Amino acid sequence: MKDILLIFIPTLTLVPTAVAAALAMRKISSTALDGMTRQPEIAGQLFTSMLVSLALVEALVIYCLVVALMLAAKV
Amino acid sequence: MSEMVARYLPYIVIVNFLLVASLLVVLGRQATARPLTELPDGRQNAAELVLDWFLAQARRIHPPSVTIIVPFLATLFLLILFSNLLAVLPVPILKIPPTSYFSGPLALALIAVVGAILICARIRGAWATVKHSFWPNPLQLVAEVSHTLSLSLRLYGNIGGEFIVASLATQAVPYGIPLIIHALGLIPAAVQPMVFTLLTVSFLATAVPAERRPREHPGEEIARAR
Repeated sequence: MKDILLIFIPTLTLVPTAVAAALAMRKISSTALDGMTRQPEIAGQLFTSMLVSLALVEALVIYCLVVALMLAAKV
Repeated sequence: MSEMVARYLPYIVIVNFLLVASLLVVLGRQATARPLTELPDGRQNAAELVLDWFLAQARRIHPPSVTIIVPFLATLFLLILFSNLLAVLPVPILKIPPTSYFSGPLALALIAVVGAILICARIRGAWATVKHSFWPNPLQLVAEVSHTLSLSLRLYGNIGGEFIVASLATQAVPYGIPLIIHALGLIPAAVQPMVFTLLTVSFLATAVPAERRPREHPGEEIARAR
């Protein structure tokens, strides 16, 4: 039972978050690339904003990773 | 070997950080050893390229305080970048990046947040900085603590995660695959310092009020900094 929980708890914590973050990152990247092709003169600014937005989304997955590791350690 | 590494990991992290810092000091001395020339050579070009990006970021925060903000941001960026790049070195203990152990990123995040508060205090005054932490939103103080955690966890998650994956792949398939993983690991190794610095910039920008004033030629600020 403990082994099964050890496998499932991190998986169930991480996978939905990773899927949601991937969808959010897809939206951010496609919108930023769209803007860069439409207005190449502000591509630098858009790239910076895109990186910050991607980092904020990615942070959620990392928080979940930490929570998953803590839960796995408790089991 | 691995037991010894696990036992002495905190010390290895400190030694590797010190090695990277020493390397940066040597590179900095090398880059500024000769006086600046009108027609920059390769070394001066590289130094100006790095400096230009930080000047642009610092100008967005508070143009008159560029000489205070740029060294802080550039030191953080270069220290994290070179620490991350240690992972590609084929030397047994030296290849452990200090940012792949949670204490390393936590120390860097604390330096970033405390440094940002000190810079804000220098620009706006100590009283205004203390007031900014409590007013208009008293939860601003909690935000500063969570900012430290988010900065450190993000860096640790990216670099530590890549390092763990590379170690596992090396155990499973010793040849070929680790090379691909290390090559892919160069992307977060270069992007994460930029993200860390940009988030510190945004943190500073919220703490320091923006001042509108005409932009100067970048050369004037560099000359004044010297």
